Amino acid sequence: MAVALLDSVVDELTAICGPDHVFTGRSATFNRARVPAPFPVHKWDEHVPSAVVLPTSAHQVSEVVKMANRHRIPVVPRAGATGLTDGAVPLRHGIVVDVKLMNQILDLDHENRTVTVGPGINMLKLNEELRKHGYIYPDNPASYPCSLVGGRIGTSGWSLIGARYGHTRDLVISFEIVLPTGEIVRVGDGGGRTVRKSSSGYQLKHLFMGHQGTLGIVTEATLELVPRPEAEFSAFFAYGDYMDAWRATGDLARSGVATLAGVVLFDEWKLAYLRRDDEAYIPQPESIKGVIACASYGNADEVRIGAKRLLRIGNASGGVYLGDEISQGDWASRHDRYATPQHGRTRDGQVALMSWHCEDASIPYSELPAVREEWHAIAAKLRERFDMFDDWGMFAYTNGAFKPWGDYLTEIDIGIWETRWDEETWAAWVDAKRELARVSIEHGGSISACHGSCREGEVDLVPAELGGGFEVMKTIKRGLDPNNIMNPGKYLLDQAYEEA
Amino acid sequence: MLGFKLSAQRPPEPERVADGVVSRFEHVFEVEPALMTEHVRQQDIPNWDFQRIVDSRWEHLAWMHEHFADSVISGEELLAELEAEQPNP
Repeated sequence: MAVALLDSVVDELTAICGPDHVFTGRSATFNRARVPAPFPVHKWDEHVPSAVVLPTSAHQVSEVVKMANRHRIPVVPRAGATGLTDGAVPLRHGIVVDVKLMNQILDLDHENRTVTVGPGINMLKLNEELRKHGYIYPDNPASYPCSLVGGRIGTSGWSLIGARYGHTRDLVISFEIVLPTGEIVRVGDGGGRTVRKSSSGYQLKHLFMGHQGTLGIVTEATLELVPRPEAEFSAFFAYGDYMDAWRATGDLARSGVATLAGVVLFDEWKLAYLRRDDEAYIPQPESIKGVIACASYGNADEVRIGAKRLLRIGNASGGVYLGDEISQGDWASRHDRYATPQHGRTRDGQVALMSWHCEDASIPYSELPAVREEWHAIAAKLRERFDMFDDWGMFAYTNGAFKPWGDYLTEIDIGIWETRWDEETWAAWVDAKRELARVSIEHGGSISACHGSCREGEVDLVPAELGGGFEVMKTIKRGLDPNNIMNPGKYLLDQAYEEA
Repeated sequence: MLGFKLSAQRPPEPERVADGVVSRFEHVFEVEPALMTEHVRQQDIPNWDFQRIVDSRWEHLAWMHEHFADSVISGEELLAELEAEQPNP
């Protein structure tokens, strides 16, 4: 069960945040124990925070963190909690600092093309406001309708249209963060809230990108503003062979088309999954073994010219254009994958309610075919043992910002019947995750492109992936967080204190 | 005054269109009922609700296009232009 805080501690939190912004009841705390990542529902109690606070200012966040240091109470920041790793899941109970009330637009700088916001704002809602001024903030994850800016920084998020506009790290210019000891600092490329490029000092913005709540709590961010696109173009091509589709993916990604926002490769497992109940894919012939989606944005004349080149490449590579209805409709549904519970199937084909989970490695283009084979074999072994896992196929997305040809966000989607978790199945899942991560590293990749790599299983291989860099991580953690207050237990960083 | 007749709201009998998939209305697909008998039961949905779900889906997709850009360029139109630009053999 959650560890109860002393009444005096709750009183202190109330004095800092106000009586309406401190919660210790079951509903508020149990609902902030998990995220959409596979969650050990049979051990839910182990992750329930002792208290939840919803601060409204950086000063309040700072005071909460200072108080937590005095009492040695863990603090876990939480924004949209849509991440598919466990950044926002408390491992040691403690206080969850939920930033959702810090959701204001604080400054719109037309001259320097920036917007400064609180960490609790959602990109979709932000863009509804920016549209009135002809701008867009083009950070576009699958969780676009529900994730928040603070979490995007906490995970160093990835954007579906990042090939054109960059990913979170490229779109956040600077941000304010409450350090683990309570000091409030602003970090950027160098100094200057709106400066995009600096050579002054260390690049601290990048240090805190992807911190998973282990290095502080972001309380404000200054973001890039981009002209709202005049035009969107998307095209889906079908191939009779996965390898043909893989080669064509490379051709499209290397096309040099400036408006290209992304290229996505679907494998045959993904197509079989989509043929279960997706109106775009059910009518497609079984002979299709690979599909490519590509999209571009920008000024209408530039998008048109670029689109013609993409269509020529698609045709020349043997792809069959799937028509406007699928190309436009399927691209517009790119955010819908957080709501797919009834797509699960047991081994005998029965529909079962399963949660969506995706592994999200960064894999070099050359290694995609091999990784695909090895990952599906791991998923098949898991499904063979336990009829609660389902292989939902793989996507590979262009991963590099502005130069999208090198590596790919490589995703295997696994449906999981979560109400069937027990000790044995959870242990098998953690082993499988470790195996998936091992394959990524062995092929020269990284465990995660977009969500982080601090989940149980995969996290064991983070030292192997980072090498000496992991020792630097531990030194930084110990230096900035001497009492191990911020999100303790994540990323194996407890080791930093054991060694000390 | 709008009337409501239950018999008019009963969808037509499904036709099997692919492995594990049936269809009652053009381009509207459902999971084959035999696959939803053990863990999740299929529900009876009246015609108006079918239509509401389909219309809502299209509305959502149109909204998403419009949210990200002022216009959507048609690949079919561009392919026709490319074909017209080809020199005659």
